[in-house]
Amino acid sequence: MIAVKNLYKNFGKTNVLKAVSTTVEKGEKVVIIGPSGGGKSTLLRCMNLLETPTYGEVWVEDKLLTPVDPYLHPEIIRLSSTYKRMTEGGATDEEVIAEIKKNDLLRRFEGRDYASAIRTYQKQNTLDVNLARRKIGMVFQHFNLFNNKTVLDNLTLAPITLKLKSKAEAEEQAYALLKRIGLEDKAKVYPSTLSGGQKQRIAIVRALAMKPDYMLFDEPTSALDPEMVGEVLSLIKELAASGMTMVIVTHEMGFAREVASRVLFMADGVITEEGAPEELFENPKTERLKDFFSKVL
Amino acid sequence: MFEDLGKILTSSEYMGYIWQGFGTTLLVTLIAVLIGLVLGFIVAIIKIAALNSKWMKIPAFICSIYTTVIRGTPVALQLFLMVFSILAFPGFKPVAAILTFGINSGAYVSENIRAGIMSVDKGQMEAGRSLGIPWTYTMVKIIFPQAIKNVVPAIGNEMISLLKETSIIGWVGSTVGTLTFDLNAASGIIALGLGGAYLAPSIIVGCFYLVVVYAMVLLIKLVEGRLRKSDRR
Repeated sequence: MIAVKNLYKNFGKTNVLKAVSTTVEKGEKVVIIGPSGGGKSTLLRCMNLLETPTYGEVWVEDKLLTPVDPYLHPEIIRLSSTYKRMTEGGATDEEVIAEIKKNDLLRRFEGRDYASAIRTYQKQNTLDVNLARRKIGMVFQHFNLFNNKTVLDNLTLAPITLKLKSKAEAEEQAYALLKRIGLEDKAKVYPSTLSGGQKQRIAIVRALAMKPDYMLFDEPTSALDPEMVGEVLSLIKELAASGMTMVIVTHEMGFAREVASRVLFMADGVITEEGAPEELFENPKTERLKDFFSKVL
Repeated sequence: MFEDLGKILTSSEYMGYIWQGFGTTLLVTLIAVLIGLVLGFIVAIIKIAALNSKWMKIPAFICSIYTTVIRGTPVALQLFLMVFSILAFPGFKPVAAILTFGINSGAYVSENIRAGIMSVDKGQMEAGRSLGIPWTYTMVKIIFPQAIKNVVPAIGNEMISLLKETSIIGWVGSTVGTLTFDLNAASGIIALGLGGAYLAPSIIVGCFYLVVVYAMVLLIKLVEGRLRKSDRR
Protein backbone atom coordinates (compact mmCIF):
# COMPACT_ATOMS: atom_id res chain seq x y z
CA MET A 1 0.00 0.00 0.00
CA ILE A 2 1.14 3.54 -0.79
CA ALA A 3 -0.62 6.15 1.30
CA VAL A 4 -0.36 9.90 0.92
CA LYS A 5 -1.71 11.91 3.81
CA ASN A 6 -2.71 15.54 3.63
CA LEU A 7 -0.16 16.32 0.94
CA TYR A 8 0.67 19.91 0.05
CA LYS A 9 3.14 20.94 -2.59
CA ASN A 10 4.03 24.55 -3.20
CA PHE A 11 6.27 25.73 -6.01
CA GLY A 12 7.04 29.23 -4.86
CA LYS A 13 3.64 30.82 -4.39
CA THR A 14 1.68 28.33 -6.50
CA ASN A 15 -0.04 25.55 -4.61
CA VAL A 16 0.10 22.54 -6.86
CA LEU A 17 -1.30 20.08 -4.34
CA LYS A 18 -3.75 21.06 -1.63
CA ALA A 19 -4.40 18.57 1.16
CA VAL A 20 -4.44 15.50 -1.07
CA SER A 21 -5.00 12.19 0.70
CA THR A 22 -5.44 8.80 -0.88
CA THR A 23 -4.36 5.22 -0.39
CA VAL A 24 -3.34 2.83 -3.13
CA GLU A 25 -3.96 -0.70 -1.92
CA LYS A 26 -2.04 -3.77 -3.10
CA GLY A 27 -3.29 -4.93 -6.48
CA GLU A 28 -5.17 -1.74 -7.23
CA LYS A 29 -4.81 0.02 -10.58
CA VAL A 30 -5.35 3.67 -9.88
CA VAL A 31 -5.58 5.96 -12.89
CA ILE A 32 -5.27 9.70 -12.40
CA ILE A 33 -6.91 11.90 -15.02
CA GLY A 34 -7.48 15.62 -15.21
CA PRO A 35 -6.51 18.84 -16.94
CA SER A 36 -2.88 19.90 -17.31
CA GLY A 37 -1.49 21.72 -14.33
CA GLY A 38 -3.98 20.04 -12.04
CA GLY A 39 -1.28 18.32 -9.99
CA LYS A 40 -1.53 14.78 -11.41
CA SER A 41 2.16 14.32 -12.13
CA THR A 42 3.21 16.10 -8.96
CA LEU A 43 1.09 13.74 -6.87
CA LEU A 44 2.59 10.74 -8.67
CA ARG A 45 6.13 12.07 -8.24
CA CYS A 46 5.50 12.63 -4.54
CA MET A 47 4.75 8.94 -4.14
CA ASN A 48 8.40 8.02 -4.68
CA LEU A 49 9.67 11.35 -3.40
CA LEU A 50 11.08 12.58 -6.70
CA GLU A 51 9.16 15.64 -5.57
CA THR A 52 9.42 16.53 -1.89
CA PRO A 53 6.03 17.51 -0.48
CA THR A 54 5.85 20.81 1.37
CA TYR A 55 3.56 19.35 4.03
CA GLY A 56 2.06 15.93 4.55
CA GLU A 57 3.36 12.41 4.71
CA VAL A 58 3.95 9.60 2.25
CA TRP A 59 3.79 6.06 3.57
CA VAL A 60 4.78 2.86 1.82
CA GLU A 61 3.48 -0.20 3.65
CA ASP A 62 4.08 0.76 7.28
CA LYS A 63 7.10 2.93 6.56
CA LEU A 64 7.34 6.69 6.38
CA LEU A 65 9.27 8.24 3.47
CA THR A 66 8.85 11.93 4.23
CA PRO A 67 9.76 13.74 7.44
CA VAL A 68 7.06 13.60 10.10
CA ASP A 69 4.31 16.13 9.60
CA PRO A 70 3.40 17.08 13.19
CA TYR A 71 -0.02 18.39 12.12
CA LEU A 72 -1.05 14.80 11.42
CA HIS A 73 -0.16 13.67 14.95
CA PRO A 74 -2.22 15.21 17.78
CA GLU A 75 -0.05 13.39 20.34
CA ILE A 76 2.98 15.30 19.03
CA ILE A 77 1.09 18.61 18.89
CA ARG A 78 0.22 18.13 22.58
CA LEU A 79 3.92 18.24 23.45
CA SER A 80 4.51 21.59 21.76
CA SER A 81 4.97 24.74 23.78
CA THR A 82 2.36 26.47 21.62
CA TYR A 83 -0.21 23.85 22.69
CA LYS A 84 0.79 24.19 26.34
CA ARG A 85 0.53 27.95 26.21
CA MET A 86 -2.88 27.83 24.56
CA THR A 87 -4.38 25.25 26.94
CA GLU A 88 -3.20 27.31 29.91
CA GLY A 89 -5.61 29.96 28.68
CA GLY A 90 -8.44 27.53 29.47
CA ALA A 91 -9.28 26.25 25.97
CA THR A 92 -10.12 22.56 25.54
CA ASP A 93 -7.81 20.07 23.89
CA GLU A 94 -9.94 19.73 20.77
CA GLU A 95 -10.29 23.45 20.27
CA VAL A 96 -6.58 24.07 20.61
CA ILE A 97 -5.58 21.31 18.23
CA ALA A 98 -8.12 22.47 15.66
CA GLU A 99 -6.89 26.04 16.06
CA ILE A 100 -3.23 25.02 15.65
CA LYS A 101 -3.97 22.97 12.55
CA LYS A 102 -6.13 25.63 11.01
CA ASN A 103 -3.73 28.52 11.46
CA ASP A 104 -0.43 26.67 11.04
CA LEU A 105 0.72 27.73 14.49
CA LEU A 106 3.57 25.26 15.08
CA ARG A 107 6.97 26.92 15.00
CA ARG A 108 10.34 25.47 14.18
CA PHE A 109 11.28 25.15 17.83
CA GLU A 110 8.58 23.94 20.17
CA GLY A 111 10.53 22.72 23.15
CA ARG A 112 12.58 19.66 23.96
CA ASP A 113 9.72 17.16 24.44
CA TYR A 114 8.28 18.02 21.06
CA ALA A 115 11.63 17.73 19.29
CA SER A 116 12.45 14.39 20.89
CA ALA A 117 8.96 13.05 20.11
CA ILE A 118 9.51 13.89 16.45
CA ARG A 119 12.96 12.31 16.48
CA THR A 120 11.69 9.13 18.11
CA TYR A 121 8.78 8.84 15.71
CA GLN A 122 11.09 9.39 12.78
CA LYS A 123 13.56 6.81 13.99
CA GLN A 124 10.86 4.19 14.47
CA ASN A 125 9.07 4.66 11.20
CA THR A 126 11.31 6.16 8.53
CA LEU A 127 12.56 4.06 5.65
CA ASP A 128 15.51 5.23 3.56
CA VAL A 129 14.10 6.61 0.34
CA ASN A 130 16.60 4.69 -1.81
CA LEU A 131 15.37 1.42 -0.32
CA ALA A 132 11.75 2.41 -0.86
CA ARG A 133 12.39 3.33 -4.48
CA ARG A 134 13.74 -0.15 -5.21
CA LYS A 135 10.20 -1.38 -4.67
CA ILE A 136 8.50 1.43 -6.60
CA GLY A 137 9.21 1.35 -10.33
CA MET A 138 8.69 4.52 -12.31
CA VAL A 139 8.07 5.12 -16.01
CA PHE A 140 8.52 8.63 -17.36
CA GLN A 141 6.90 10.58 -20.14
CA HIS A 142 10.24 11.06 -21.87
CA PHE A 143 11.49 7.50 -21.22
CA ASN A 144 14.73 8.68 -19.59
CA LEU A 145 16.75 5.69 -20.71
CA PHE A 146 20.42 6.14 -19.80
CA ASN A 147 21.83 7.57 -23.04
CA ASN A 148 25.40 6.52 -22.35
CA LYS A 149 24.49 2.88 -21.72
CA THR A 150 23.42 0.12 -24.05
CA VAL A 151 19.93 -1.31 -23.67
CA LEU A 152 21.37 -4.28 -21.81
CA ASP A 153 23.32 -2.02 -19.43
CA ASN A 154 20.19 0.06 -18.88
CA LEU A 155 18.45 -3.06 -17.62
CA THR A 156 21.31 -4.37 -15.51
CA LEU A 157 22.73 -1.15 -14.05
CA ALA A 158 20.48 -0.87 -11.01
CA PRO A 159 20.50 -4.56 -9.94
CA ILE A 160 24.29 -4.72 -10.32
CA THR A 161 25.08 -1.34 -8.74
CA LEU A 162 22.85 -2.07 -5.77
CA LYS A 163 24.44 -5.52 -5.46
CA LEU A 164 21.12 -7.31 -5.74
CA LYS A 165 22.33 -9.57 -8.52
CA SER A 166 25.58 -10.76 -10.02
CA LYS A 167 26.40 -9.54 -13.52
CA ALA A 168 25.49 -12.91 -15.03
CA GLU A 169 22.17 -13.12 -13.18
CA ALA A 170 21.27 -9.56 -14.07
CA GLU A 171 22.03 -10.14 -17.75
CA GLU A 172 20.08 -13.36 -17.81
CA GLN A 173 17.11 -11.52 -16.35
CA ALA A 174 17.58 -8.63 -18.78
CA TYR A 175 17.48 -10.99 -21.78
CA ALA A 176 14.36 -12.65 -20.41
CA LEU A 177 12.70 -9.25 -20.04
CA LEU A 178 13.76 -8.17 -23.52
CA LYS A 179 12.41 -11.41 -24.91
CA ARG A 180 9.09 -10.70 -23.25
CA ILE A 181 8.80 -7.45 -25.24
CA GLY A 182 10.37 -8.94 -28.37
CA LEU A 183 13.46 -6.71 -28.40
CA GLU A 184 16.25 -9.20 -27.66
CA ASP A 185 18.07 -8.12 -30.80
CA LYS A 186 18.38 -4.59 -29.40
CA ALA A 187 20.36 -5.63 -26.32
CA LYS A 188 23.66 -4.19 -27.54
CA VAL A 189 22.47 -0.96 -29.13
CA TYR A 190 22.32 2.50 -27.61
CA PRO A 191 18.92 4.10 -26.89
CA SER A 192 19.42 6.83 -29.52
CA THR A 193 18.81 4.29 -32.29
CA LEU A 194 15.42 3.15 -30.97
CA SER A 195 11.91 4.35 -31.75
CA GLY A 196 9.85 6.01 -29.03
CA GLY A 197 7.68 2.96 -28.53
CA GLN A 198 10.72 0.72 -28.18
CA LYS A 199 12.33 3.14 -25.73
CA GLN A 200 9.23 3.25 -23.56
CA ARG A 201 8.83 -0.52 -23.50
CA ILE A 202 12.48 -0.86 -22.52
CA ALA A 203 11.97 1.79 -19.83
CA ILE A 204 9.11 -0.29 -18.46
CA VAL A 205 11.15 -3.50 -18.30
CA ARG A 206 14.07 -1.55 -16.83
CA ALA A 207 11.80 -0.74 -13.92
CA LEU A 208 10.64 -4.37 -13.80
CA ALA A 209 14.24 -5.55 -13.51
CA MET A 210 14.13 -4.32 -9.91
CA LYS A 211 11.14 -6.61 -9.26
CA PRO A 212 9.06 -3.75 -7.89
CA ASP A 213 5.86 -4.14 -5.88
CA TYR A 214 4.44 -0.93 -7.34
CA MET A 215 4.69 0.81 -10.69
CA LEU A 216 4.15 4.51 -11.28
CA PHE A 217 3.48 5.67 -14.84
CA ASP A 218 3.82 9.37 -15.60
CA GLU A 219 1.99 9.96 -18.91
CA PRO A 220 3.75 6.99 -20.51
CA THR A 221 2.30 7.59 -23.98
CA SER A 222 2.21 11.37 -24.18
CA ALA A 223 5.53 11.72 -26.00
CA LEU A 224 4.87 8.91 -28.48
CA ASP A 225 3.86 9.00 -32.12
CA PRO A 226 0.25 7.78 -32.43
CA GLU A 227 1.16 4.50 -34.10
CA MET A 228 3.38 3.55 -31.16
CA VAL A 229 0.89 4.21 -28.39
CA GLY A 230 -0.75 0.80 -28.83
CA GLU A 231 2.36 -1.29 -28.20
CA VAL A 232 3.13 0.56 -24.97
CA LEU A 233 -0.44 0.44 -23.70
CA SER A 234 -0.73 -3.26 -24.36
CA LEU A 235 2.43 -3.90 -22.35
CA ILE A 236 1.00 -1.89 -19.47
CA LYS A 237 -2.29 -3.80 -19.72
CA GLU A 238 -0.40 -7.07 -19.65
CA LEU A 239 1.38 -5.90 -16.54
CA ALA A 240 -1.93 -4.88 -14.96
CA ALA A 241 -3.37 -8.31 -15.71
CA SER A 242 -0.41 -9.92 -13.94
CA GLY A 243 -1.56 -8.28 -10.70
CA MET A 244 0.92 -5.42 -10.41
CA THR A 245 -0.14 -2.50 -8.21
CA MET A 246 -0.06 0.56 -10.44
CA VAL A 247 -0.69 4.28 -10.42
CA ILE A 248 -1.03 5.75 -13.89
CA VAL A 249 -1.28 9.37 -14.96
CA THR A 250 -2.67 9.44 -18.49
CA HIS A 251 -4.66 11.35 -21.06
CA GLU A 252 -5.78 8.14 -22.80
CA MET A 253 -9.39 7.96 -21.60
CA GLY A 254 -10.24 4.65 -23.27
CA PHE A 255 -7.21 3.05 -21.70
CA ALA A 256 -8.00 4.60 -18.31
CA ARG A 257 -11.47 3.14 -18.40
CA GLU A 258 -10.27 -0.27 -19.43
CA VAL A 259 -7.38 -0.75 -17.04
CA ALA A 260 -8.41 1.20 -13.94
CA SER A 261 -9.89 -0.29 -10.81
CA ARG A 262 -10.28 3.25 -9.48
CA VAL A 263 -10.10 6.59 -11.24
CA LEU A 264 -9.04 9.83 -9.57
CA PHE A 265 -9.99 13.09 -11.22
CA MET A 266 -7.60 15.84 -10.19
CA ALA A 267 -8.10 19.52 -10.90
CA ASP A 268 -6.61 22.60 -9.25
CA GLY A 269 -4.53 20.54 -6.86
CA VAL A 270 -7.32 18.52 -5.28
CA ILE A 271 -8.93 15.15 -5.98
CA THR A 272 -12.24 16.52 -7.19
CA GLU A 273 -13.90 13.20 -7.82
CA GLU A 274 -13.00 9.53 -7.54
CA GLY A 275 -14.62 6.19 -8.07
CA ALA A 276 -14.87 3.07 -10.19
CA PRO A 277 -14.28 3.82 -13.88
CA GLU A 278 -17.82 2.91 -15.06
CA GLU A 279 -19.35 5.11 -12.42
CA LEU A 280 -17.07 8.05 -13.11
CA PHE A 281 -17.25 7.89 -16.89
CA GLU A 282 -21.01 7.21 -17.05
CA ASN A 283 -22.17 9.51 -14.28
CA PRO A 284 -19.75 12.31 -13.55
CA LYS A 285 -21.10 14.16 -10.55
CA THR A 286 -19.16 17.40 -10.47
CA GLU A 287 -19.42 20.16 -13.04
CA ARG A 288 -15.63 20.22 -13.30
CA LEU A 289 -15.49 16.60 -14.44
CA LYS A 290 -18.44 16.95 -16.84
CA ASP A 291 -16.69 19.94 -18.34
CA PHE A 292 -13.44 17.97 -18.63
CA PHE A 293 -15.14 15.02 -20.35
CA SER A 294 -16.91 17.33 -22.76
CA LYS A 295 -13.49 18.47 -23.93
CA VAL A 296 -11.61 15.18 -24.09
CA LEU A 297 -14.20 12.52 -25.00
CA MET B 1 62.28 42.65 -40.95
CA PHE B 2 63.15 39.74 -43.25
CA GLU B 3 66.75 40.40 -42.48
CA ASP B 4 66.00 40.07 -38.77
CA LEU B 5 64.08 36.84 -39.37
CA GLY B 6 67.08 35.42 -41.16
CA LYS B 7 69.39 36.52 -38.37
CA ILE B 8 67.32 34.81 -35.73
CA LEU B 9 66.79 31.57 -37.65
CA THR B 10 70.48 31.23 -38.40
CA SER B 11 71.74 32.18 -34.97
CA SER B 12 72.17 29.17 -32.72
CA GLU B 13 72.18 31.46 -29.67
CA TYR B 14 68.79 32.97 -30.55
CA MET B 15 67.26 29.66 -31.56
CA GLY B 16 68.58 28.21 -28.30
CA TYR B 17 66.60 30.85 -26.38
CA ILE B 18 63.52 30.08 -28.41
CA TRP B 19 63.70 26.31 -27.89
CA GLN B 20 64.32 26.83 -24.23
CA GLY B 21 61.38 29.21 -23.97
CA PHE B 22 59.27 26.76 -25.93
CA GLY B 23 60.04 24.02 -23.41
CA THR B 24 59.14 26.31 -20.54
CA THR B 25 55.86 27.37 -22.13
CA LEU B 26 54.86 23.76 -22.72
CA LEU B 27 55.82 22.63 -19.24
CA VAL B 28 54.17 25.56 -17.47
CA THR B 29 50.98 25.10 -19.52
CA LEU B 30 50.91 21.36 -18.95
CA ILE B 31 51.28 21.64 -15.18
CA ALA B 32 48.80 24.52 -15.00
CA VAL B 33 46.28 22.56 -17.08
CA LEU B 34 46.57 19.58 -14.75
CA ILE B 35 46.17 21.74 -11.65
CA GLY B 36 43.27 23.54 -13.33
CA LEU B 37 41.49 20.32 -14.25
CA VAL B 38 41.79 18.81 -10.78
CA LEU B 39 40.83 22.04 -9.02
CA GLY B 40 38.04 22.80 -11.48
CA PHE B 41 36.62 19.30 -11.12
CA ILE B 42 36.62 19.47 -7.32
CA VAL B 43 35.01 22.92 -7.27
CA ALA B 44 32.36 21.89 -9.79
CA ILE B 45 31.51 18.77 -7.77
CA ILE B 46 31.18 20.78 -4.57
CA LYS B 47 28.88 23.28 -6.26
CA ILE B 48 26.73 20.54 -7.80
CA ALA B 49 26.67 18.53 -4.56
CA ALA B 50 25.33 21.59 -2.74
CA LEU B 51 22.13 21.20 -4.76
CA ASN B 52 21.61 17.81 -3.14
CA SER B 53 23.09 18.14 0.32
CA LYS B 54 22.86 20.97 2.79
CA TRP B 55 26.27 20.03 4.23
CA MET B 56 27.93 21.24 1.05
CA LYS B 57 26.32 24.68 1.17
CA ILE B 58 29.21 26.37 3.00
CA PRO B 59 32.00 24.77 0.92
CA ALA B 60 29.99 25.73 -2.17
CA PHE B 61 29.80 29.31 -0.97
CA ILE B 62 33.59 29.39 -0.53
CA CYS B 63 33.95 27.94 -4.03
CA SER B 64 31.76 30.61 -5.52
CA ILE B 65 33.88 33.30 -3.87
CA TYR B 66 36.88 31.62 -5.48
CA THR B 67 35.39 31.60 -8.98
CA THR B 68 34.08 35.14 -8.62
CA VAL B 69 37.39 36.60 -7.46
CA ILE B 70 39.55 34.66 -9.92
CA ARG B 71 37.34 35.32 -12.92
CA GLY B 72 36.74 38.89 -11.83
CA THR B 73 40.35 40.06 -11.61
CA PRO B 74 43.15 40.21 -14.23
CA VAL B 75 45.51 37.26 -14.24
CA ALA B 76 48.46 39.66 -14.14
CA LEU B 77 47.28 40.97 -10.77
CA GLN B 78 46.92 37.41 -9.49
CA LEU B 79 50.41 36.62 -10.72
CA PHE B 80 51.99 39.61 -8.98
CA LEU B 81 50.08 38.93 -5.77
CA MET B 82 51.15 35.31 -5.68
CA VAL B 83 54.79 35.84 -6.65
CA PHE B 84 55.54 39.01 -4.70
CA SER B 85 53.35 38.70 -1.66
CA ILE B 86 51.44 35.48 -0.93
CA LEU B 87 54.16 33.03 -1.95
CA ALA B 88 57.14 35.37 -1.91
CA PHE B 89 59.68 32.81 -0.67
CA PRO B 90 63.19 32.83 -2.10
CA GLY B 91 63.53 30.57 -5.12
CA PHE B 92 59.82 29.94 -5.17
CA LYS B 93 59.02 32.23 -8.06
CA PRO B 94 58.40 29.64 -10.81
CA VAL B 95 56.28 27.46 -8.53
CA ALA B 96 54.20 30.43 -7.46
CA ALA B 97 53.75 31.49 -11.08
CA ILE B 98 52.69 28.02 -12.24
CA LEU B 99 50.30 27.73 -9.30
CA THR B 100 48.76 31.05 -10.25
CA PHE B 101 47.96 29.84 -13.74
CA GLY B 102 46.61 26.54 -12.38
CA ILE B 103 44.39 28.28 -9.85
CA ASN B 104 43.25 30.76 -12.49
CA SER B 105 42.41 28.00 -14.94
CA GLY B 106 40.61 26.01 -12.25
CA ALA B 107 37.99 28.75 -11.86
CA TYR B 108 37.13 28.68 -15.55
CA VAL B 109 37.29 24.90 -15.81
CA SER B 110 34.97 24.52 -12.81
CA GLU B 111 32.34 26.64 -14.51
CA ASN B 112 32.74 24.65 -17.74
CA ILE B 113 32.34 21.36 -15.92
CA ARG B 114 29.41 22.66 -13.91
CA ALA B 115 27.70 23.84 -17.07
CA GLY B 116 28.35 20.42 -18.62
CA ILE B 117 26.77 18.61 -15.70
CA MET B 118 23.78 20.96 -15.65
CA SER B 119 23.28 20.44 -19.39
CA VAL B 120 22.57 16.73 -18.93
CA ASP B 121 18.81 16.13 -19.03
CA LYS B 122 17.29 16.20 -15.53
CA GLY B 123 15.41 13.02 -16.42
CA GLN B 124 18.65 11.03 -16.39
CA MET B 125 19.18 11.71 -12.69
CA GLU B 126 15.50 11.11 -11.97
CA ALA B 127 15.59 7.78 -13.76
CA GLY B 128 18.61 6.68 -11.72
CA ARG B 129 17.12 7.84 -8.46
CA SER B 130 13.74 6.26 -9.22
CA LEU B 131 15.48 2.88 -9.47
CA GLY B 132 16.90 3.36 -5.99
CA ILE B 133 20.43 4.18 -7.15
CA PRO B 134 21.93 6.73 -4.73
CA TRP B 135 22.74 10.25 -5.94
CA THR B 136 26.50 9.74 -5.98
CA TYR B 137 26.35 6.55 -8.04
CA THR B 138 23.95 8.08 -10.53
CA MET B 139 26.25 11.06 -10.82
CA VAL B 140 29.33 8.92 -11.44
CA LYS B 141 27.81 6.30 -13.72
CA ILE B 142 25.23 8.27 -15.68
CA ILE B 143 25.67 12.02 -15.45
CA PHE B 144 29.48 12.44 -15.63
CA PRO B 145 29.99 10.30 -18.73
CA GLN B 146 27.37 12.36 -20.55
CA ALA B 147 28.62 15.67 -19.16
CA ILE B 148 32.21 14.97 -20.27
CA LYS B 149 31.09 14.95 -23.89
CA ASN B 150 29.58 18.40 -23.53
CA VAL B 151 32.53 19.72 -21.60
CA VAL B 152 35.46 18.69 -23.79
CA PRO B 153 35.15 21.51 -26.37
CA ALA B 154 34.94 24.15 -23.64
CA ILE B 155 37.87 22.67 -21.71
CA GLY B 156 39.90 22.58 -24.94
CA ASN B 157 39.13 26.23 -25.43
CA GLU B 158 40.25 26.96 -21.89
CA MET B 159 43.52 25.04 -22.44
CA ILE B 160 44.23 27.07 -25.53
CA SER B 161 43.71 30.40 -23.80
CA LEU B 162 45.76 29.19 -20.86
CA LEU B 163 48.67 28.40 -23.20
CA LYS B 164 48.70 31.99 -24.35
CA GLU B 165 48.01 33.44 -20.91
CA THR B 166 51.24 31.89 -19.66
CA SER B 167 53.07 34.34 -21.92
CA ILE B 168 52.96 36.89 -19.11
CA ILE B 169 54.99 34.66 -16.80
CA GLY B 170 58.10 36.67 -17.70
CA TRP B 171 56.56 39.81 -16.20
CA VAL B 172 57.68 38.76 -12.76
CA GLY B 173 61.26 38.77 -14.03
CA SER B 174 62.75 36.02 -16.10
CA THR B 175 66.25 34.65 -16.01
CA VAL B 176 67.50 32.44 -18.81
CA GLY B 177 67.45 28.83 -17.68
CA THR B 178 64.65 29.14 -15.12
CA LEU B 179 60.99 28.21 -15.36
CA THR B 180 59.94 31.80 -15.87
CA PHE B 181 61.85 32.09 -19.15
CA ASP B 182 59.14 31.23 -21.67
CA LEU B 183 58.66 31.85 -25.38
CA ASN B 184 57.63 35.45 -24.86
CA ALA B 185 60.62 36.13 -22.65
CA ALA B 186 62.86 34.58 -25.31
CA SER B 187 61.31 36.90 -27.87
CA GLY B 188 62.09 39.86 -25.60
CA ILE B 189 65.71 38.95 -25.06
CA ILE B 190 66.23 38.41 -28.80
CA ALA B 191 64.60 41.74 -29.58
CA LEU B 192 67.03 43.47 -27.26
CA GLY B 193 69.91 41.68 -28.96
CA LEU B 194 68.66 42.94 -32.31
CA GLY B 195 68.56 46.49 -31.04
CA GLY B 196 64.86 46.73 -30.19
CA ALA B 197 63.38 44.95 -33.24
CA TYR B 198 60.41 43.24 -31.65
CA LEU B 199 58.46 42.28 -34.74
CA ALA B 200 60.62 39.46 -36.13
CA PRO B 201 61.10 37.50 -32.89
CA SER B 202 57.42 37.95 -32.06
CA ILE B 203 56.42 36.45 -35.40
CA ILE B 204 58.66 33.43 -34.92
CA VAL B 205 57.37 32.93 -31.38
CA GLY B 206 53.83 33.36 -32.70
CA CYS B 207 54.41 30.48 -35.13
CA PHE B 208 55.44 28.27 -32.23
CA TYR B 209 52.23 29.13 -30.37
CA LEU B 210 50.19 28.47 -33.49
CA VAL B 211 51.70 25.02 -33.98
CA VAL B 212 51.03 24.07 -30.37
CA VAL B 213 47.46 25.34 -30.56
CA TYR B 214 46.87 23.40 -33.74
CA ALA B 215 48.20 20.24 -32.12
CA MET B 216 45.86 20.84 -29.19
CA VAL B 217 42.91 21.29 -31.53
CA LEU B 218 43.67 17.94 -33.18
CA LEU B 219 43.95 16.28 -29.79
CA ILE B 220 40.63 17.71 -28.65
CA LYS B 221 38.96 16.50 -31.85
CA LEU B 222 40.33 13.02 -31.26
CA VAL B 223 39.02 12.93 -27.70
CA GLU B 224 35.64 14.29 -28.79
CA GLY B 225 35.34 11.67 -31.52
CA ARG B 226 36.03 8.89 -29.04
CA LEU B 227 33.48 10.17 -26.56
CA ARG B 228 30.76 10.54 -29.18
CA LYS B 229 30.77 6.82 -29.84
CA SER B 230 27.48 6.13 -28.05
CA ASP B 231 25.70 8.80 -30.11
CA ARG B 232 26.49 7.27 -33.45
CA ARG B 233 25.78 3.60 -32.96
